[in-house]
Amino acid sequence: MTSVTASPATGFLSGRALRLAVGGILIINGMFPALWILFTSLKGEPELTRKPITWFPDLATTENYLRAFADQPLLLFLFNSFMVALLSTIATLSVSTLAAYALARLNLRFRDLILSAIIAVSTFPLVTLLVPLFEVMRALELLNTWAALVLPYIVLSLPVCTLVLVSFFEGIPRDLENAAMVDGCTRLGALFKVVVPLSAPGVFTAGILAFVNAWDEFLLALSFNSNPALRTLPVGITLYQGEFAFPWPVISAALIVGIVPVAVLIVIFQERVVSGLTSGGIKG
Amino acid sequence: MTAQPNREGSKSSFTRFLDLSETKLAALLLAPAAILLVLIVVYPVGRLIWTSFFNLSLTSGMPASFAGFENYGLLLKDPIFWQTTKNTLLITVVTVPGALLLGIALALMANLPFERKWPVRLSLLIPWALPLSFAGLIFAWFFHSEYGVVNDVLRRFGLKGIIWFNSEEWAMTAICLTIIWKTSSFMALIILAGLQTIPRSLYEAADVDGAGRVRQFFEITLPLLKPSIIIALIFRTITALQTFDIPYTMTRGGPGSSTATLAMYIHQNTVDFLDLGYGSALAVVMFLLSMAVTMVYLRFIRSTR
Amino acid sequence: MSSHKSLSVLLAGTALSFTALTFAASSVSAAELRVFASSQHRPDVWRKAFDMYEAENPGNKIIMETGGNTSELQAQYLNTVMSAKDSSLDVMILDVIRPAQFAAAGWTTPFNSTIGDTKAFMSKYLPAYAGANTIDGKVVALPAFADAMFLYYRKDLLEKHGVAIPKTWSELTVAAKKVTDAENAPAAGRQSALQGLSFQAKAIEGAVCTFLLPYWSQGKDLVTDGKLTFDKDAATKSFALWKSFVDSGVAKANIAEVATDDTRKEFQAGEVLFAIGWSYAWGQFQTDASAVKDKVGVAVLPAVDGGKPVSCLGGWEWGVSSYSKNQVEAQKLVQYLSSPKISEFMAVNASLLPVFPELYKDADVLKAVPWFGSAQEIVTSAKARPVTPRYNEVSEIIRTTVNAVLAGTMTPEKGVEQMESRLQRVLR
Repeated sequence: MTSVTASPATGFLSGRALRLAVGGILIINGMFPALWILFTSLKGEPELTRKPITWFPDLATTENYLRAFADQPLLLFLFNSFMVALLSTIATLSVSTLAAYALARLNLRFRDLILSAIIAVSTFPLVTLLVPLFEVMRALELLNTWAALVLPYIVLSLPVCTLVLVSFFEGIPRDLENAAMVDGCTRLGALFKVVVPLSAPGVFTAGILAFVNAWDEFLLALSFNSNPALRTLPVGITLYQGEFAFPWPVISAALIVGIVPVAVLIVIFQERVVSGLTSGGIKG
Repeated sequence: MTAQPNREGSKSSFTRFLDLSETKLAALLLAPAAILLVLIVVYPVGRLIWTSFFNLSLTSGMPASFAGFENYGLLLKDPIFWQTTKNTLLITVVTVPGALLLGIALALMANLPFERKWPVRLSLLIPWALPLSFAGLIFAWFFHSEYGVVNDVLRRFGLKGIIWFNSEEWAMTAICLTIIWKTSSFMALIILAGLQTIPRSLYEAADVDGAGRVRQFFEITLPLLKPSIIIALIFRTITALQTFDIPYTMTRGGPGSSTATLAMYIHQNTVDFLDLGYGSALAVVMFLLSMAVTMVYLRFIRSTR
Repeated sequence: MSSHKSLSVLLAGTALSFTALTFAASSVSAAELRVFASSQHRPDVWRKAFDMYEAENPGNKIIMETGGNTSELQAQYLNTVMSAKDSSLDVMILDVIRPAQFAAAGWTTPFNSTIGDTKAFMSKYLPAYAGANTIDGKVVALPAFADAMFLYYRKDLLEKHGVAIPKTWSELTVAAKKVTDAENAPAAGRQSALQGLSFQAKAIEGAVCTFLLPYWSQGKDLVTDGKLTFDKDAATKSFALWKSFVDSGVAKANIAEVATDDTRKEFQAGEVLFAIGWSYAWGQFQTDASAVKDKVGVAVLPAVDGGKPVSCLGGWEWGVSSYSKNQVEAQKLVQYLSSPKISEFMAVNASLLPVFPELYKDADVLKAVPWFGSAQEIVTSAKARPVTPRYNEVSEIIRTTVNAVLAGTMTPEKGVEQMESRLQRVLR
């Protein structure tokens, strides 16, 4: 890792000290609220109304974490959120990969119209579609199932994922695909063996977008899954508050427990998948 | 149909795929997306447009009656509609470029050759892992005049704390800063993915030509990033026009309705006031607004292709 | 060990979700009732009350469902389910401000045919509940438990400075000034300043009560028989009173940021002399972690000069969904849940205020929650917020105006003017 192989786009900042400084800025910008929540989760409630405010907990206590697990089935919330987000991601990527390939590679007469239509979908805020959607889910007998959330979540992420993938697929030289087809690959085989791997940063980006959209969603999760056994994390966390009380320390502890798995996932994925594929594929 | 599927068999079915005309193959590939869209969006939206032509308020105790364009006429005379539209546009005009600039900066920084990439990537993505509704609450707390960390920092620098939510301008400022923070990671993520596909040979050639780093950024990086940036802009703009959670949790639209957005006003009319006719008309107007913006972008993409 | 427990919870949860799926598929038997309860009000104790009903009425089965943890989240959920005319819920608990809206939308079945003489039946409850639950002569919901706004005060500080419990807002201003001046003197060595009065001026539901308390105390009503009876003069005085607390330093400058639980937290931290809040605060003040344990008194809210003391009515009601396929059983269950027996049970086991006046003198209740003895006078003085199907709109108009006036972005006069014209559009 010498500065010669460094990305030249930003090479003028490649000194080690500068890298550390830039890394520090990035981390503070991204992590500060999460760190604040972490500190809060270690504080007792009286410390929150102290003036002037304290940054670091006086006496770190794990009590809030114990309460977070004791008061509500936090692991169940996590499990549900994880499953819903995972299923939504897989489904969104499948649907949008197929659609994006058709839009990027095939000669379609109404290509722009279809693309516009897919984007137009996302211009409707889900908030306004709540009641008709509830009726659709009831008609399909999907209320109180994971599917009641997965289906709308696919649609939530479909436009952005499709557009990202179209843009990436268009950047893959047709020659590579044709070469694979000469080697005996079918068209779909070429899609999954050549185009998708070469678009790894795009697929990864689309996957993250889909996962996080599903992970964050609150309103539909509240409305379509009233069964306590199916509650997702954003809905579950609201259960720690009372009609009036908002116990920040316990809610912070629950939020931290909710953030950690996503963080771990991001780290694993980006290290293994992205760096491996990108360094092999596109540069070549 | 043998117990052991042979490659020949599966291949022949794939070959049949290959034989399909392009249009048929396209139809097949687009079908799953189309079915979902009809089910989850087209049908409910159809209901919404239909409802917007009726007097249908569940609290009135009266049955629905056809109203023609009455709801749309009411809306044009509704000062809160205009106020919330103005707020929505203001938030869009401020936070979209704000998030774009911050996003480009973050992506360029994150693209540096760090020895360990994960802490950087993680800090790009964590703002996202915080559920939106809680991000609003956390930042409302940061901007709290007594217990907030923002005023604490101001005081440490010897400045006077601000009662952010006592003033229309400061409340709007706090909301815009929060939105920029929360959404810049989305921008950064898409731009970073684009950055990684720019071949290094281009920069090497520019080096040979003696082009400086700044010139390389404007002449190579930025033009090649354009597709990524446009995607990010389209979706950021659409979501900015739909801004709901952050003002809802931070200010409830206050003081007065100075920070309320159009999406909040729609939500209020439909979910709280149960005035489905009027709420639907508002939603249709908002849809037209978003469509107009999207069309402008799409036209722009087409013209530059 | 805790992870072990959590794992089993998780497994149980997954198993439950499968059973739920089978439930949805199989047809519901006639005596199976689905009840929507509020998860912030001790659903575990309500469950015991349901168990008692099941034991007394063999063959009946009650399935409890809960949603988000606040009145607002529950309203959003119920509005979605009921707008879709869903028949899965039989009985639901409603915040006291909602029965009129549910009745107008045709979502609840009136009780008139099963309770006999409605006037006589409703007169057994605390007086304000008959009004809150009767719309156009129809009883649309029955009370589950009571609540009201209280004046909490620091017993120790009033005693120390020889100040009597204020009966009027002017007395409160004088008392607050006297105590805070002494307590906040440098010699007293307090770490953070003592606030004279804490109330709610954030744009939340509680701000509606903030506006109404002095307005009502002047003998005025906002809505009479469904018609707007807005008294501009009384409204201006109400805003001016709250504004004067801020301007004179009795309340803090950022009062527009204060929500219900902020008042509770600050009082509990020992930073507030007088606080206006709901009954839940009492239990929290008396915990061991509280800085004001055994130093708290509770009193009727002060009156305006020459006015009468009045509080703001809270509490929750049981309603029967008009889409329920078990109307008879559901009505029977609600009457049971709204009976003196269950009201007493919930008071003793969940510290929920009773809806029957005599229970405030009940020995079992007072043994479990002694302070309920001093609560009766306050709960009886409470008035219901405007009973109208369009309450949510009325509430939004009032609370945003309160917030803007106390944030200082609007004068009281301008606020009243805007409020009147907006209210006129909603309530003609």
